[in-house]
Amino acid sequence: MSQPVPPALPNDALTRFFWEGARAGELRILRCQSCGTYIHLPRPVCRHCLSFDLAGEKVSGRGTVYSFTETHKAFHPFFVDRVPYIVATIELVEQPHLHLVSNLVGIAEPDVHCGMDVVVDFEALGPDIIIPVFRPATDRATAVA
Amino acid sequence: MAQRRVAIVGVGYSQVARNSGKSERHHAAQAAVAALDDAGLKPSDIDGASTWGGDAVDFAWMLGFNRLQWNLNVGTSPAFITPAYHAAMAVANGHSEICMAFRIMMQQPSSAALAAGSASLGAPSPGDTQFMAPFGDFSPTQWAGLLMQRYMHETGATEQDFANFAEVQRSHAMLNPDALQRDPLTAEQYLAHPYITKPLRILDCDYPCDSGSAVIFTTEERARDMKQPAVFVEASALSAIHDMNFEVMPDMVRTSPAHCAEVLWSRTDLTPADVDTAQLYDGFSIITMQWLEALGLCPPGEAARFVSAGHTRLGGSMPTNTDGGAINVGRRHGANFCIEATRQLRGQCGDRQVPGAEVAVWANAVGPFSGAMLLTKN
Repeated sequence: MSQPVPPALPNDALTRFFWEGARAGELRILRCQSCGTYIHLPRPVCRHCLSFDLAGEKVSGRGTVYSFTETHKAFHPFFVDRVPYIVATIELVEQPHLHLVSNLVGIAEPDVHCGMDVVVDFEALGPDIIIPVFRPATDRATAVA
Repeated sequence: MAQRRVAIVGVGYSQVARNSGKSERHHAAQAAVAALDDAGLKPSDIDGASTWGGDAVDFAWMLGFNRLQWNLNVGTSPAFITPAYHAAMAVANGHSEICMAFRIMMQQPSSAALAAGSASLGAPSPGDTQFMAPFGDFSPTQWAGLLMQRYMHETGATEQDFANFAEVQRSHAMLNPDALQRDPLTAEQYLAHPYITKPLRILDCDYPCDSGSAVIFTTEERARDMKQPAVFVEASALSAIHDMNFEVMPDMVRTSPAHCAEVLWSRTDLTPADVDTAQLYDGFSIITMQWLEALGLCPPGEAARFVSAGHTRLGGSMPTNTDGGAINVGRRHGANFCIEATRQLRGQCGDRQVPGAEVAVWANAVGPFSGAMLLTKN
């Protein structure tokens, strides 16, 4: 039996910047070029000023844990060998309530708390898919960011 | 046309069961027959139909309803409140005289089937799953875990409070012959279950099953002469505050129920103090907690302690989910709360009757969207 593969990414002009960014080691978020509002999840229009002039921009990769849940049951073949793993909602520092779903790595669940500082890192799930994950911010990581 | 006052005159369930082997149509037919019998109505009396699950027109033809002058199929929306709300609106506006609202829900795939890759869960907004699935985020239990975790962080609620909630609900289910889970349950037994999406456990989730539910709405004038004591729709409200991505909501503690309740109370002279019993969605237990606070049935941030202090228990100050909740009666996607509220106001709940209940609120869903309905005896 072949190895389970990660969920496929769509070929989507609106969101390609995000995955290309991850492959380049950058966290990029869609931003309105007119008013500066970050839009996540990506949408074709800015919900603040209704401009259609939007582009993916590199962000600092710093954020805080808004909430998290350690998943103990697999809901997809690829994740059977990965449980337990932590799904988290990360609030990016660029804008209040700029929330992103990701994974927390490099930390055990009992040590995680809402509000803790985290920084982005990147993990290859397969040859074609690199995802932005987050790990606890150390002084060094914070300084670099 | 002025809005007409609307009443619930018939309620019914199919033979709800785990993997029943019966079709969606079969459950719809059983629920409709039960509701018609409850109301003392004939199929030809029904001239409006709405559903989530299957097709209202298909059901109407199958069941020999009258020619429909109003019908609606709803999709992703806040559970049974959506077909119910719109059926009540159709009657209020004179677009239907007697209208049946359905919720037919077939059991969803097991986590074992999902892990094996032989089944997958539907996605409410497919283009957005690319920002969830690669991170292993597929299941509603995961957003529920996020909502629960954040709630505990902000309010100081504990896993013990959720264990107490499960114990209270089961104590109600033990008094309900229709409940699928009726064995005694202690808080310790709850805590002994493994996590699914920590801090959420299996007993925080509604119980998967095949179910059909039907509720009949008509005018006050017609309701006065019918078989059952009429139960009136005092006020209702829907809310939608965000797209369907729970995981990125700006505030996971005060979600759409807060807005929905604000709208609901603005449409009535009644207040939270008038409510005798609450029937609040428990697709996940955190949802009931949000509704208790949103509706003003307990102070903000206090729902978990309100539950642990016994207020939601039969005999407590706000008997809540008196049928045992969907955790115990099985996933009827909110319809059980409408039906239980109706039966409480009729005084038909037997051992679990709230004495003298005159005002009941039932509410569905959480997060991006939700709905609530206030019912009265008079």
